[in-house]
Amino acid sequence: METKSRVNRIQMAALLIPGLIIFSVFTVYPILRLFWVSFCDWKLDSMITQPFIGLTNYRNVFSDDTFWIVFVNSIVYTLITVPGQMMLGLFTAVLLNGIKRFSVTYRVINYLPVVTSWVIASLVFRYVFNTEGLLNYVLTKVLHLTGQNVRWLDSRWGGLSVAMMLGIWKGVGWNMVVFLAALQQVPQDLYEAADIDGGGAWKKFIHVTLPSIKGTILFAMVMLTIGGFNVFTSIKMITGGKPAHQTDTLLTWMYYKAFSTGKFGYSAALSFVMAFSLGLMAILQFKAMKNREMGGGA
Amino acid sequence: MNKRIAAVLMAAVLCLGVGIVQAESSPVTINFWHHYSAQSAENETLVNILIPKFEKENPDVKVNAVSHEWAELHDKVLVSVSSQSLPDVARCDIAWLPEFQKMGVLVALDEEMPDFKEVSSTLLDSAMSTTIINGNHYALPLNTNSKILFYNTSMLEKAEVDVPVTMDQWVDAVRKLSGTNENGQQTWGWNEPALSGWNLCPFIWSFGGSLTNTEQTVATGYVNSEETVKAIDTFAVLYREGALTGFNSGDIPMTDGFGTGRYAMMLEGPWKTAELTGAYPDVAYGTAPFPAGDGGSISVLGGEDIAMFNVANKDAAWRFMKFMTGEFAETEMAKCGQIPVNKAALQSDTVKDAPYAPFIEAIQTAKARPTVAAWSEMDNELNVAVTAVVNGDKTAQEAMDELAARFDALLKQ
Repeated sequence: METKSRVNRIQMAALLIPGLIIFSVFTVYPILRLFWVSFCDWKLDSMITQPFIGLTNYRNVFSDDTFWIVFVNSIVYTLITVPGQMMLGLFTAVLLNGIKRFSVTYRVINYLPVVTSWVIASLVFRYVFNTEGLLNYVLTKVLHLTGQNVRWLDSRWGGLSVAMMLGIWKGVGWNMVVFLAALQQVPQDLYEAADIDGGGAWKKFIHVTLPSIKGTILFAMVMLTIGGFNVFTSIKMITGGKPAHQTDTLLTWMYYKAFSTGKFGYSAALSFVMAFSLGLMAILQFKAMKNREMGGGA
Repeated sequence: MNKRIAAVLMAAVLCLGVGIVQAESSPVTINFWHHYSAQSAENETLVNILIPKFEKENPDVKVNAVSHEWAELHDKVLVSVSSQSLPDVARCDIAWLPEFQKMGVLVALDEEMPDFKEVSSTLLDSAMSTTIINGNHYALPLNTNSKILFYNTSMLEKAEVDVPVTMDQWVDAVRKLSGTNENGQQTWGWNEPALSGWNLCPFIWSFGGSLTNTEQTVATGYVNSEETVKAIDTFAVLYREGALTGFNSGDIPMTDGFGTGRYAMMLEGPWKTAELTGAYPDVAYGTAPFPAGDGGSISVLGGEDIAMFNVANKDAAWRFMKFMTGEFAETEMAKCGQIPVNKAALQSDTVKDAPYAPFIEAIQTAKARPTVAAWSEMDNELNVAVTAVVNGDKTAQEAMDELAARFDALLKQ
């Protein structure tokens, strides 16, 4: 018996080791190394001499005006696109769950933005919202609503709003698929019971549907928050951070600092500030959902 | 069994032999990174004329030329320094050299190349000055350029505006040329595609201002001087009046705007001539020197140097650099609109008859942007500061005072 379990253990180890090695070399090591870099005055000309400078990089990040601009931008982007995508996604999913015919067609149509390339979608959005773009053409020449072209992309919130619209447009399909799968798991007898109790459609949605898919909501929220903080392509393509980094987000700013100015130490510190913020937010989200669960149960 | 061992041994010996023969005859490959755009006439000349000729003259060297976007090349070099994957030779914007030199990756040519003096004497002195950092030469100049005024002839005629010669006339002209055209579309008197030093320096200098002192050690008192502030303020006022645009993400690109008669004037380099001929052959335009202010008519000196990195095969790389700055290559490149720095090539008929002859005049008075290692960062700070002014978030004086403090800190590093 004892020998058998030892053999088992050896077998398990042998099976695990290749995966663990890959995970350690390509994930754990780079993260630890980056953590070390965030405390160093990273010199581009030498891989060996990297003087330890303590918290200077972190101090530089927090005392940088632009950091606070891009940090707020990322938070606003997340606060608007995450609920936006989830509400529209859930709404579409509920509608699709109710229909019997053409449901596959509608699913495909709603999912198309998800599989469209970020670069192409961003370029199309830029074309539409350019000062000389399609939207202004329609507003001034077709509808005659204004005489002057509106400068959609040229201000901080204007540029970000366009990126947020693209984010929501592109994310609804994914949310729809996730929520549709969850909705189909909700036991029918719960709805039947609610019918007997005389609950209307809205009451059924609030008291039956939502509690039943709470796990999926939390999952989508955490994933989308991470996604929101990771927004990069659309910002880079639509505004490029213009004017003067006012529309940059954490990731585009990190990219600029590392690859255009060579400040790898600063960028490493910034990446840990970002990871910490994301972790904190995930914990808060889990806590909030748990509290509601307990409150609901009591 | 013995037979099999013998066969394996034979095969091994054969392989080795082949390897040795190949090693002896295989030429050295040098990597050359540049930013001639992939579809340009320059790139065609490089790939089809220059490199084949060089390889014919130097059969032991092969050149692997890689084209990058301008900004991408700068970033790529930065990243390649830390990953030890630098090329042998690169064509670098003159503004990048101090930064690369500070990283310690460039070869001091005057120290390492015995025939450096001979080579440098064939090239323009003003261009050679862009390669000196801390008393050593870290590159050879490859081509030079500057920007002059381009104006849309029919737009000026319709508005009855003369080509501006002074800064006051320029302000006036920019205002008069702005408004709406016959199709009801908005037009702007001036296009400026960005707010970096390359764009703003001609205004600052011609207004009599500057970015730093001549020693490039202090900015306070220079970048926030009365003249510099006046230049930035004039610029911002014209922007807010709707007389000047081009640097926003939503704006019409420069060439398209000028070619379709939406932008009346712009300050551009010799490459614009070819671009306009290609994209808008029908647009009638003229060129003139940059209008003169209190500081004179001072445009910004551009251009590229060819530099050798410390990982290079120095002998082969040096031969290639000498070839690229030699009379033949410089004359061939001059045919594509690159203003040569080789004295012999400058005397050629190609140059004398070239459409960029007016630029050669501007180069005489043009100034270079600060040749300091922190320039890229200073450039970004300048962009941020001036953006705040044009958007009305700060007054020109406030923004330039803050900028002076930032510049001082960066210059001290």
